[in-house]
Amino acid sequence: MAQAVWEKPADAAKAPAVSRERLKFLIGGILIVGAIVYLIVSGMQAGARFFITVDEVVNSAQYAGQMVRVSGAVLGDTIRYDEATLTIEFTVVHIPEGQDVTGEALHNAVNDSNATQMQVRVEGQTKPDLLRHEAQAIMTGTYDADGVFHVSELNLKCPSRFIEGAPGEMIEAGS
Amino acid sequence: MLAEIGIVFQALALAASIYASIAAFLSARRRSERLLVSARSAALLTFPLLLGAAAMLLMALINQQYQISYVWQVTDPSTPLFYRITALWGSQQGSLLFWTVLMSAFAFASLLLNWRENHRLMPYVIVFQMAALAFFAGISLLIESPFARYWVTQPAPSLPPVVEAHLFIPTGAEAPPMVVQPSGDGFFTQGLAQTANGLNPLLRHFGMIIHPPMLYLGFVGFLVPFAYAMAALASGDLTTNWIKATRRWTLIAWLFLSLGLILGGRWAYDVLGWGGYWGWDPVENAAFIPWLVGTAFLHSVLIQEKRGMLKTWNMFLVIFTFSAVLFGTFATRSGLIESVHSFAQSAIGLPMFLFWLIMTVIGVWLIMWRRGRGELRDEHGFAGWLSRETLFVLNNVVFVALALAIFWGSFGAPIVSETFMDTEITLGAAYYSQVTVPLFAAMYILMGVAPLAAWGAMTMRRMGRALVVPLALTAVGVVVAALLGARSAGTLFAYGIVLLAGIVALYEIYRGARARMLTSRESLPVALLTIFGRNRRRYGGFIVHLGIVIIGIGVIGSTAYQLETIRQLGRSAEAQIGAYSVRYDSLELGQIAEDGRLMDIANVTVLRAGQPVAQIRPRVDHYPGMSVTIPGAHSTIEGDVYVLLSGYNEADGSTATLHIYVNPLINFVWWGGLILIVGTLISAWKDERAPERVRSAATNGRVGAAA
Repeated sequence: MAQAVWEKPADAAKAPAVSRERLKFLIGGILIVGAIVYLIVSGMQAGARFFITVDEVVNSAQYAGQMVRVSGAVLGDTIRYDEATLTIEFTVVHIPEGQDVTGEALHNAVNDSNATQMQVRVEGQTKPDLLRHEAQAIMTGTYDADGVFHVSELNLKCPSRFIEGAPGEMIEAGS
Repeated sequence: MLAEIGIVFQALALAASIYASIAAFLSARRRSERLLVSARSAALLTFPLLLGAAAMLLMALINQQYQISYVWQVTDPSTPLFYRITALWGSQQGSLLFWTVLMSAFAFASLLLNWRENHRLMPYVIVFQMAALAFFAGISLLIESPFARYWVTQPAPSLPPVVEAHLFIPTGAEAPPMVVQPSGDGFFTQGLAQTANGLNPLLRHFGMIIHPPMLYLGFVGFLVPFAYAMAALASGDLTTNWIKATRRWTLIAWLFLSLGLILGGRWAYDVLGWGGYWGWDPVENAAFIPWLVGTAFLHSVLIQEKRGMLKTWNMFLVIFTFSAVLFGTFATRSGLIESVHSFAQSAIGLPMFLFWLIMTVIGVWLIMWRRGRGELRDEHGFAGWLSRETLFVLNNVVFVALALAIFWGSFGAPIVSETFMDTEITLGAAYYSQVTVPLFAAMYILMGVAPLAAWGAMTMRRMGRALVVPLALTAVGVVVAALLGARSAGTLFAYGIVLLAGIVALYEIYRGARARMLTSRESLPVALLTIFGRNRRRYGGFIVHLGIVIIGIGVIGSTAYQLETIRQLGRSAEAQIGAYSVRYDSLELGQIAEDGRLMDIANVTVLRAGQPVAQIRPRVDHYPGMSVTIPGAHSTIEGDVYVLLSGYNEADGSTATLHIYVNPLINFVWWGGLILIVGTLISAWKDERAPERVRSAATNGRVGAAA
């Protein structure tokens, strides 16, 4: 009871000033939130890439000429590197969707003769240490009319040796 | 044997943490001091138990117990002792055990140090700390055990034997041979020691050795403020007690997290060989998001202490800091997100996701419940746009917006698009630069203006007057930057706002010292010591601001003015880059390092105005099945000439391809990091006077007792 008595008049006295202040802060807040949303939306327009498979980029016309991100398994025998012109060429193989990209998945992908393949060309870059047989290449670039995927950014992952592996395979391999 | 003891230690720690959590909860409900003391004893016990488990794993690593699958995965017979020890946190299972040890250490220390002062909060502090510990200890024991061992079983007489890792011995299993055996049975031509994996070469760097422990300390350190905030909400002690109790814990956690981030950047720069230190990779972002939310919390908590405002907001921030830690851990350890350095796919995804969800929901629910009861009402309203509290709120908005934008970019957009659009959309570097640069700019502007604002209200005119000197000095700084070669308006503006923040920090320190000199006639050094001693948090905070400013100078310089070229050079040929030229002298093929790896090393001379200024040796290290390109760098205050050996004639070294970067001012990033650490230490250091009082009280007590 006592509390109600001292709280209420205080609130009532402040009310008009508070609501005007509130309105100012509300408008300020809306402007700030609007600015942040604008930043994120414009950032997405600049930086958004579809992350698709080799199958999708090769077989659906909608991605032709568009900057996309593609994941594929590297075929070791196809890697060509010209040191003088800094051009890397290799072929990647489609990795089936819906499963984790493990060393086993990459191994199966490169040994699947029916899987879609795609030629890749990287210019003006040196050959990365991890570019080798059965590596996973994550490439940003465009699939052009010449049937070659022109890469502007190349990332590689090798899940096989240092992360998975079990002695079972190696022991049996030695037999 | 080591594995069995380790498992027993882990199981006891799990039991103790579950018991502590339940007993503490009951003690709070029944107001039973006896139960609380019992809960505390159990909680304190978890640390030595988990330390014991980690010691077992460490001994197994040092003694090369390759039957333990973790040991087999991360070391091999050629691994030097140092890397055997650091392999404790080199991969998923070991690092999870290590994580539980650190978590229990924080719980241990905070229970010992805060027990008396914060007795009322203690029951629920134990509940939440031990619930979190029980979860991680449980995962480490049951799902991702570092003590699983390889066993050979024979599924059927006709089939080849199978080697699999199991926590418990399967029936009829045998231990696999450790060393080479005669292949009499046709299967075991090689033993475990010969086939062992060894530590990933990319992780063999001092930054990678200290970076994960620092990051983990930062992560688990936020458990302390989180548990205290939850305890305040659950117990109803919503005064600033929980904030006072956790102020220094939060700073310590923040310190380690900052150190972890800086060391991670340094490792990337030294080892990954792309000339940069921050790549907006999801794993980096997962560590950066809690840092951002935690930084917002460190600032806004001041307003609650001084003005009794933002009570609900602070609760949200501290709970979301820890929630971000849990989410980041889940995202990087479960294989949810594709990243160059995430852990392998793992079964811990679902439990970790659920734990994150439950902790976050309980936290938010507790806040809304207390708020609904009117217990988190602010004591003051906002007085005006230029008051310090409003500017602090803006600072919070900036940090939270950064955290949200980065979260959306690394996790939100890919997951939402994958779920609802059937195609994954990822956001590249362009997204991050577009979104974060304006927000960082706002952060620096606020850093320059907010310290000058007064609590309560401030007029534009007074703010203008306070800004005159710093702005004048900033203008001088910008002119100097222009004379030194900064040309574009954008860069000059960026340097302007960063410098303003630094000058304001120095100016405030100077004003504090001058006031002291005038009132107590102290010399400048004595006055400085006094003000830092009296108000460590404020002045330590300004040193942290200086650190951030210096990092900013480095980031702007190394991004805006980076030069890059790739050239194939014959012997004695030079490549020109900026003010430097780089000459390829010779190649040393097949050098053998101490640990047995082969190195191909290029001898390269860096020249400036035709004069040699440094000899550097970029190289390629060859490990079995993997090569690592290690840059050579010539570092000066102006910046680095950073050279990668990215190709060479393998027969005679007649040509080499050098990938050359000039990274201006990059070393400011590391120096700024050091200053930031020093500032945080000053802020977190215990105030001088408190221990004296405690000590004298203790002495008096003893004297009294003796008398």
